[in-house]
Amino acid sequence: MNETELIQGLRKGEEPAFRFLVDTYQDLVFNTALGIVQNAEDAEDVAQEVFIQVFRSIDRFKGESKLSTWLYRITTTRSLDVLRSRKSKKRSGLLQRLFGEEGEPLVELPDFQHPGVALEKKENAALLLQAIRKLPENQKVAFTLHKLENLSYEEVSQVMQTSVSAVESLMHRAKQNLRKILEKGVG
Amino acid sequence: MNPEKNKRIEEILSSLDGAERAQAPSFFYTRLKARMEAGVPQPRPFILRPVYIIASLLVILMLNMLVLLGSSGSADETITEQEVEQSIAAEYSINTNLTYEMNQ
Repeated sequence: MNETELIQGLRKGEEPAFRFLVDTYQDLVFNTALGIVQNAEDAEDVAQEVFIQVFRSIDRFKGESKLSTWLYRITTTRSLDVLRSRKSKKRSGLLQRLFGEEGEPLVELPDFQHPGVALEKKENAALLLQAIRKLPENQKVAFTLHKLENLSYEEVSQVMQTSVSAVESLMHRAKQNLRKILEKGVG
Repeated sequence: MNPEKNKRIEEILSSLDGAERAQAPSFFYTRLKARMEAGVPQPRPFILRPVYIIASLLVILMLNMLVLLGSSGSADETITEQEVEQSIAAEYSINTNLTYEMNQ
């Protein structure tokens, strides 16, 4: 099934088309989400929401970009929503502690090990992924898409709907920031 | 920065190079279909989020305060003791003039 047939099938609500979409893109969506949210459960949740959103709003897809570009865009948006929601839960948990209410313990994610990293690089990758958590959103997205999904700067610019030079700038700043973070952490 | 530390940092920065794509969990499609058939709960409309409710209440409170301050500022007449007496007297049908003469 080529992309045109797939989109036509999705617009008609055909299950085989939806199944093909999921089978073809589930790893792309899951891996992208995993790189940003750094938790397998949350990443699966995001992935499910992405496909549900695609199914419901396929009519809004104009075909000006590739379907994969659209999927990346929805995935990164939803993943950032998860991060923001975690931050706001953390803040309200702190307030509850201040006012003496017993609430859920503040959740600090443990060190994240990406399953696709080779064994000899796992320790370093865990340090890098922890540092990535501290990046501003745009830098985080650009760096993750480039490093974990091997997207070129051109492809990243299409996902982020910005220019290639803007992506170059984001990557440059991301690396600078990561260096600073790692300098503090590395003995 | 010393060269050793610099080298270490460069190694860390390149540790994701060549990483394989993580695979979606087994039976992902099955769980996805089950979720769609169960009906995905609709996200709460933004207007019902606590921060917007609190913000709206604060705005209403401020508007009320502005109205109250505005109405108390525009009252030109001050209520005198005599007027208070007269109004009470009128309510209870008391002759205030007699009270005044007695006080003199």
